Amino acid sequence: MAFDIQFAIKTFPKILRAVPVTLFITIFAIMIGLIIGLFIAICRINKVPVLKNIAAIYVSFIRGTPILVQLYVVFYGLPELLAYLHQIRGWNLSSNNIPHMTIVLIAFTLNASAYLSENIRSALSSVDKGQYEAAYSVGMSNFQSLRRIIIPQALVVALPNFSNVFLEITKDTSLAFSVMVVEIMATATVEASSGYKYLETYVDASIIYFIICFVFAKLFVVLENRLSIYKNSNA
Amino acid sequence: MKKIFDVNYIFQSIPSIASALPLTLIIMIGSLFCGLIIGFIVTVMKLNKSTVINSIANGYVAFIRGTPPLLQLFLVFYGLPQVLGSVGIDINDWDKVVFAIITFSLNSGAFLSEIMRSSYLAVDIGQREAALSVGMSNIQMLRRIIIPQAFDVAIPNLGNLVISLLKETSYVFTIGIIDIMGKAKLIGSNGYGVRQLESYIGLALIYWVLCIIIEKSIALYEYKHNNKSKKEIGYNKC
Repeated sequence: MAFDIQFAIKTFPKILRAVPVTLFITIFAIMIGLIIGLFIAICRINKVPVLKNIAAIYVSFIRGTPILVQLYVVFYGLPELLAYLHQIRGWNLSSNNIPHMTIVLIAFTLNASAYLSENIRSALSSVDKGQYEAAYSVGMSNFQSLRRIIIPQALVVALPNFSNVFLEITKDTSLAFSVMVVEIMATATVEASSGYKYLETYVDASIIYFIICFVFAKLFVVLENRLSIYKNSNA
Repeated sequence: MKKIFDVNYIFQSIPSIASALPLTLIIMIGSLFCGLIIGFIVTVMKLNKSTVINSIANGYVAFIRGTPPLLQLFLVFYGLPQVLGSVGIDINDWDKVVFAIITFSLNSGAFLSEIMRSSYLAVDIGQREAALSVGMSNIQMLRRIIIPQAFDVAIPNLGNLVISLLKETSYVFTIGIIDIMGKAKLIGSNGYGVRQLESYIGLALIYWVLCIIIEKSIALYEYKHNNKSKKEIGYNKC
């Protein structure tokens, strides 16, 4: 059985149609993950008594277990949690018909939040302490010094890691097919099974993933160059 | 109505899940070993001056880094028999574990080549020149001067790679290998699948402990090694 290039070309547009699903999962997880991650990072930087310990354990757990396992824990855990809430609080939440997409979004958001919190934490602490002090000494408020002095510098440090997390999540979304969400990987498998031509569709899928990763990697490099303009202005 | 969540079951499930641990470790260590060889070859190709050899190596690394490991596993599992079958080699009776090791060797080989290259270039060029000027051969220079210094640079990245490799081995259950992930699924589905959540939490605990062990031993090595080399050279601790 040789490589059927006709079939590969024919199925390529069909698999391409699943790209929005993959991008939706990634961008949703990154957006919400950034908010949760920022909260975790602030708790850990300011050493908030109990929250800092919980945050440290949470981050360590998420980083120490495969995303596939986290996906299954949410898959089986969320219905049980809802049933439990129903039992003790009488909340009328249906635990039987949770859309699989919701499960995937929750799992990936939790995953992204842990990685992003580390990213934010290292970027914020990379800004020299003198910069904070200088901002205060010229009379800036807390918010002003963050917005004008700290964040512009921290962003440049954070971007390369942020780009890595983004690409990592994009690639991990291929696991969503194991809980029956139809994204690129699942579409490739479904298309292949009709004629047992797995190699062709998986080659298609890998081309698509490669292009997505390539485009986003380039975008982040452009963004990084733009953000680090201030470094060259008065060196 | 069944009891909603049973903490005891988590701890009951851990020993039987852990019985599949050797397979996970075989896949991980086998891939790491073959990956080192592939990574070394790719690094040599990358440092080569010829543009053709260079771009082959770069293309390979870009492909591996730009596609999900799960997809690579499926490509090897479904694609390799088809490709080799068309030239008359039948590998359909190979064990699935072999396909897993091939995939993760190719995968970690690409990442290892990046680590090797950057740590090789991190060693100051004066070190190379000095080694050559005292009359060492190329291999002597590599073995005695470059590799010991490059290894120290590489160690933190190497630790990260081993941890992500361990986590990626969980994908092999999708092609039907019973590693710890597959075992947890099996155990969870005993008894009409009412204890799925507990067995997956048990599984997560196993992965977590393994990752912490790897992380701590890397940190310990770094700590000891840095102290030792500082003493030998006679640095002051600042």
